[in-house]
Amino acid sequence: MSGLIQTGLSLFATEEGGEHAGHHGASYWGLMVYFGFTLLILFAFLSIAKSGFKDRVFKNKWSSRFEQVYLFIESMCVNIIGPHGRRYVPFIITFWLVIFVSNIVGLFFAFTPTADLGFNLGMALISIGYVQWEGMRSNGVLGHFKHFAGPKLGLAMIPITLMIFIIEIISEAIKNVSLSLRLFGNIEGGHKMVEGMNTLGTNIIGPLSLPFGFFLLPIKVLTVVVQALIFSLLTCVYISLVTHHEEEHHEDHGHSAAPMTA
Amino acid sequence: MTGQGLGIGIGLAALGVGLGLGLIGYSALQGMARQPEAIGKLQTVMLIALAFVELVFLLTVFIVPGSMAAFK
Repeated sequence: MSGLIQTGLSLFATEEGGEHAGHHGASYWGLMVYFGFTLLILFAFLSIAKSGFKDRVFKNKWSSRFEQVYLFIESMCVNIIGPHGRRYVPFIITFWLVIFVSNIVGLFFAFTPTADLGFNLGMALISIGYVQWEGMRSNGVLGHFKHFAGPKLGLAMIPITLMIFIIEIISEAIKNVSLSLRLFGNIEGGHKMVEGMNTLGTNIIGPLSLPFGFFLLPIKVLTVVVQALIFSLLTCVYISLVTHHEEEHHEDHGHSAAPMTA
Repeated sequence: MTGQGLGIGIGLAALGVGLGLGLIGYSALQGMARQPEAIGKLQTVMLIALAFVELVFLLTVFIVPGSMAAFK
């Protein structure tokens, strides 16, 4: 997998040779500084929102905004995973908030944690690892691996079952790559796009340069929301795939009828 | 020569992914117009499909340069 990432990063490498030829983005400490910055913004707004919990009615507007985010994520979890999906709301909402805030940081700065492939791969590993853990917890360790082997076939079909098992294991590993590459490609691609548009506008009126990349702001704002949504949505889907119970009780919860606005 | 092949390949990938995204948007819009009460569910499924189609292009962008270097 590291070979794939290295070859992929070679596309973005600007300078050949040297020890860190394939590395892109800020250094380790740059990433940590930006991640700390992101967490600082997130915790500041969360603490403002939490200070409003003392009132009987939410008068603090940040409390109501975070309540809306919570309701949105909760309706998503309950719609996709099922009635037992409310347990996963803290996990999903953490991903949503971190990705959303760091994408917003990426609108204003040249670098952001989600534009670093290592950071995204770490988040994807956490997500998929938790999915495996939940699958083992709800189906048992053997049941979880039996899940990979596909439907129950006859004794003569053991080679087919073995192949299905191997392919399922590979696709489970590829999920990490796909989650991280999607986020990285979208955010970093947006940055490259803005750089290209700005290059078009250099020295356009005499010595004056125009930041044409500015006009890409609407589509970048759309990307910010959609990518944060897709990461948490896909985590929900993966959880629902492994914790799917056949004897699902068809209870009519009040929240499951809530309209989902994306 | 390698650079030209790279450009053509990525352009072809963008063409295919653009067609795929258009088809998804087309059918989702049709379904939403036909059944406005199903908009929430349709949007969820549409976003998942969009994510998977988009990934094909990203994988192309990441794999094509590496594989070209490998075959050279």
